[in-house]
Amino acid sequence: MLSPTIGSAEATPIGPHFAPKAKHVIFLFMTGGPSHMDMFDPKPALLKYQGQRPDSVDLRTERMTGGLLPSPFEFKKHGQSGTEVSELLPQLAGTVDDMCVIRSMYTFNPTHTPARNLIHSGNIASTRPTLGAWLSYGLGSENENLPGFVVLSPGTRGGSLWRSGFLPAEHQGTHFNNNEVDPEKMIRYLRNTHLDAKAQREQLDLLGAINQQHHDAIGQDAFLDARIQAMETAYRMQFEALDVFDVRNEPESIREEYGATPFANGCLLARRLVEQGVRYTHVYYGPGQPWDDHKDLNNNLRGRCPDMDRASAALLRDLKRRGLLDETLVVWGGEFGRTPVSEAGDGRDHNPYGFTMWMAGGGVKGGITHGATDEFGFQAVENRVSIHDLHATILNQVGFDHTRLTYRYAGRDFRLTDVEGIVVKELLA
Amino acid sequence: MRPLKVLIVAALSVGSLAAQNVEFFESTIRPVLAEKCVMCHSSSLDTPMGGLRLDSQEGMLTGGASGPVLVAGDPDNSLIVEALTYKDAALKMPPTGKLSDAVIADFRTWIQQGAVDPRTEQTSAAGPSAKPKQNGPGTPIAEGRKWWAFQPLHEVLAPQPQRQGWSQRKIDPFVLAKLEENGLEPSPEADKRTLIRRAYQDLIGLPPSYEEVEAFANDSAPDAYEKLVDGLLASPRYGERWGRHWLDVARWAEDHPTREATNQPHPFAWRYRDWVIEAFNKDIPYDQFIRMQFAADLLPGFKPDDMRALGYIGNSPMYHKDARISRDVTETLASDEWDERLDAVSRGLLGMTVACARCHDHKFDPITNKDYYAMAGVFASLPLVKRPIVEIDPARADKLVWDYERLVRHKGQLGNLGEPDTIADQVHPIVAKMREDVKTLEEELGKDPTPMTHAVIDAGIWIDGNTPTVTWIDVRPGQPRDLPIFIRGNVANTGEIVPRRFLEVFSEGEPEPYKQGAGRLELADNIVGRAGPLAARVWVNRVWGHHFGTYIVGTPSDFGTQGHRPTHPELLDDLAARFVENGWSLKWLHKEIMLSATYMQFSQMREDADTADPTNQWMWRLTPRRLDVEAWRDSVIQASGELDLYAGGPSEDATGEVSRRTVYSQIRRSGLNPMLQLYDFPDASQHQPERQETTTPLQQLFVMNSSWMERQAASLTALDQGIADGAARIEAMYRRTFSRDATQKEIDLGLAFLKRRQAEIGREPWEEYAQVLLGSNELIYFH
Repeated sequence: MLSPTIGSAEATPIGPHFAPKAKHVIFLFMTGGPSHMDMFDPKPALLKYQGQRPDSVDLRTERMTGGLLPSPFEFKKHGQSGTEVSELLPQLAGTVDDMCVIRSMYTFNPTHTPARNLIHSGNIASTRPTLGAWLSYGLGSENENLPGFVVLSPGTRGGSLWRSGFLPAEHQGTHFNNNEVDPEKMIRYLRNTHLDAKAQREQLDLLGAINQQHHDAIGQDAFLDARIQAMETAYRMQFEALDVFDVRNEPESIREEYGATPFANGCLLARRLVEQGVRYTHVYYGPGQPWDDHKDLNNNLRGRCPDMDRASAALLRDLKRRGLLDETLVVWGGEFGRTPVSEAGDGRDHNPYGFTMWMAGGGVKGGITHGATDEFGFQAVENRVSIHDLHATILNQVGFDHTRLTYRYAGRDFRLTDVEGIVVKELLA
Repeated sequence: MRPLKVLIVAALSVGSLAAQNVEFFESTIRPVLAEKCVMCHSSSLDTPMGGLRLDSQEGMLTGGASGPVLVAGDPDNSLIVEALTYKDAALKMPPTGKLSDAVIADFRTWIQQGAVDPRTEQTSAAGPSAKPKQNGPGTPIAEGRKWWAFQPLHEVLAPQPQRQGWSQRKIDPFVLAKLEENGLEPSPEADKRTLIRRAYQDLIGLPPSYEEVEAFANDSAPDAYEKLVDGLLASPRYGERWGRHWLDVARWAEDHPTREATNQPHPFAWRYRDWVIEAFNKDIPYDQFIRMQFAADLLPGFKPDDMRALGYIGNSPMYHKDARISRDVTETLASDEWDERLDAVSRGLLGMTVACARCHDHKFDPITNKDYYAMAGVFASLPLVKRPIVEIDPARADKLVWDYERLVRHKGQLGNLGEPDTIADQVHPIVAKMREDVKTLEEELGKDPTPMTHAVIDAGIWIDGNTPTVTWIDVRPGQPRDLPIFIRGNVANTGEIVPRRFLEVFSEGEPEPYKQGAGRLELADNIVGRAGPLAARVWVNRVWGHHFGTYIVGTPSDFGTQGHRPTHPELLDDLAARFVENGWSLKWLHKEIMLSATYMQFSQMREDADTADPTNQWMWRLTPRRLDVEAWRDSVIQASGELDLYAGGPSEDATGEVSRRTVYSQIRRSGLNPMLQLYDFPDASQHQPERQETTTPLQQLFVMNSSWMERQAASLTALDQGIADGAARIEAMYRRTFSRDATQKEIDLGLAFLKRRQAEIGREPWEEYAQVLLGSNELIYFH
């Protein structure tokens, strides 16, 4: 029962099943469900049938919807690949040749919490281990002073989205509040409020000596040794984390490139964490569910996209410049998309039937679009990709056969992909 | 049925029309299957959708989760035609859009003519799913009845180990015999100062005071230790310690994994926690303890505040069920809730992974898919409600229960329909009526002073999808619900209805259906009756694990074929048999264990024994370990003089201003207190077999830097500020923190630290020193 572990990595991770393409994953999560028809999936037919409600869009959604709502945004082809994105994304328009845009995602639930659970853990209930926990369990950490699974989210709610479920607790995500720039405020208990490093060193030396006295009286014990080690690691981590988590250490030009919003800091931090060997970083756009545009879509997206676009594109460029994009899989998306039919006149309801996500780096093909939705963008109809398929593909890129990354719990072997999932080979370089 | 159909097709396929029909298949049917169907239904996939493979004749004939897809010669009774015509809302294929009428007509023709299909199974490409469907559970029921864990309990004659004079209780010869078998020797008996600390932490989760240690160390009476154990078992602190162990099994918490309109927190969840603590203190026999948690209100001698016991299921996690989502999604969420409850009960009380049989018969254990739905039906007939805990007129009590139930349900479901007078109200007049109802109820119930607790009551739960755009939850008092089998766990695909009943393996033949209400009393009776030997083994093993840190069955929530076998089967049987004979008394069990020579061993490492048995499964010593977070936190606040022993009532934040025992801390499924989380407090969203025990740097950051630790250090410092002499003050602090005298070396270390820091900051930093003591290994170590 006693299983002391140093650092946040399991002592003996499973290790990959085959040579991985990616060593790190960064998931840029657009909580609330961003509108694919306004960003990545142009649907001219919406204008043609504006306000109408053909049979094919008479799908059950969460709320009452009206007729077809055309996108107010103009789409153009970009890059050598000619991938189309809307005017909302001028910066990502410049990185499309590194991106693999999946226009045929679909999920199984029209409500936020279950859909969010599904994309985080492969199941609609709030109980299963999350993707980051599976990666931490499978890969361990490259850096003993930092957790293997980092969550960057402004605000503190949502702990169940980075749970380890039935996996050992050490694999749960460690949350850092990227609403703050100062690491001391981002990380709970990171800094002592009144002792300086020297004072704390002396305190720890005394603690070490007192523990040694106890140790001498008790005799050899793995737990006692482990706790002494962990105390020292914690001491060093205070300073390492202060450095790593401080985006203010970046040159002004880099900070300018990403922008200065919490999401921008999250993206920049994600890159710094990749450099430090963190396996999985999950960056949430905003607290709450900002992309849940039930109304006033035009203004909302014009307000939110510049920040998201700038930081996401900067992350891709920055990783590429440093030669890290090849070994880092970047995934972008939300729990579902939005309906082509309107809600409240100028908004869109949740759409689990079809939506867009994109990936870049980490051994996926750049400059492609995969799959398609129907003529209005409601349902994925061509080369459909399920959430389980997405998970299987992500696991494949970090070297795991998703059918063999299992954990014995409650009498059976559990997988992130349950009994589903097919690696989408067309996406792979 | 199925073999017959195969024969017909086989006969046709070699008939005279064969060549012509093959041509028809190849030109019209095969291209459609290839283009529209096999991307989801192919044997080349690891997991073809619905288990259906349409890329070979065999696959088509075998069918999938919904059965065979075609009846040769009979298109009207062929599932594939039904799917293609989009007539059944639950079965429209292909999902990307209905095929043209001409294509559907081709399929009808093809089937009418005998469904000739020359394609053969591609055996090389066939994955595991292409194997014929398994029938029956991995272990057949008849064979399963012989499984060791299900056998009746009887006392076992103790073995005769070679070594004489070591054994103290009947446990010991069993342990000693195994040690000898494995060439190991037991450790010597622990000294009295170690023993008293061990007994205190184990039974009440607090360290003894310095005075208590000294009095015990100097008590040379032969029964001093037994008296110590008796005294601790009689302490009200005992229930606070062991009740908490039960709350782990019951995955108790005060809210749900998320917090939305239909799954608001449970304000009175603490009443169940208090009942559990009281039950442990009273040593309610374990079988009665279980019965009460399912059906206290149906038992003789029921007192109104026993209603609190129903919080076991009454505080289960709930998931948000938005009124605007479809019937199937809502039923899936509801069935997930029933599944969680069934799982918590079956693994928690019986060590059986019944939930594995939700989609198919259990792959390993003697549990059928039918068993699952028979048991799940009980939970589909037990809504979570509030019930009064005081004596009131039964009619009024009944009205209160259903008024509260309706209020919570309607309010939750309305919560997502927007403000009054919006679309929902216009479309559904019922919505406006519900709003009125909620208003009235809020007013009435707001004035009602009756204290309530979270419980269950007998009423079936149905999901009503009759209104096109709104899904209602329909709760029918007094009308239990037998569930249909959800084929492969899919609520949209139902099979035969299964009467509520217990697991078949525990009865001769088919068990009789439950008749009283939901069947909760019958279920509880079955758990401690028919399955009583198993339930006793499971509970005795859990108790053993808490005392020793290792289990006799290493998988405490899985006593099935996939779990560990017991290291000491005869010992477990004997102890469980005597536990039942002694009236299922937990206090008897504690004493039997704690007075054993096995328990009283020293915990010191011995290289030779450790090499031979590194996990200490043969118990050559007592396994030393980290205290769990409750015992550690309580030890810290006791040392700092902050411990407030006020018992019961609403919970507080574990790191807040109030320093009551940790068992009274808020437990949230939606976001656990960070201190509890750091120290491996289990996620109460589902049953956890045992606690993890990790040692991480983040825990140490808490010790070094949290304001909570600093506050405890300040309190400890303040207690002895009247002592002017540094050495004397250090000694006093050692007595408070570790219940022992400091050694000279330890005093010297302290004085040197204080002196050095004084030179730097101009004063003696006693708080810094106190924090080191509270953060030391000694205080968090159980041995």
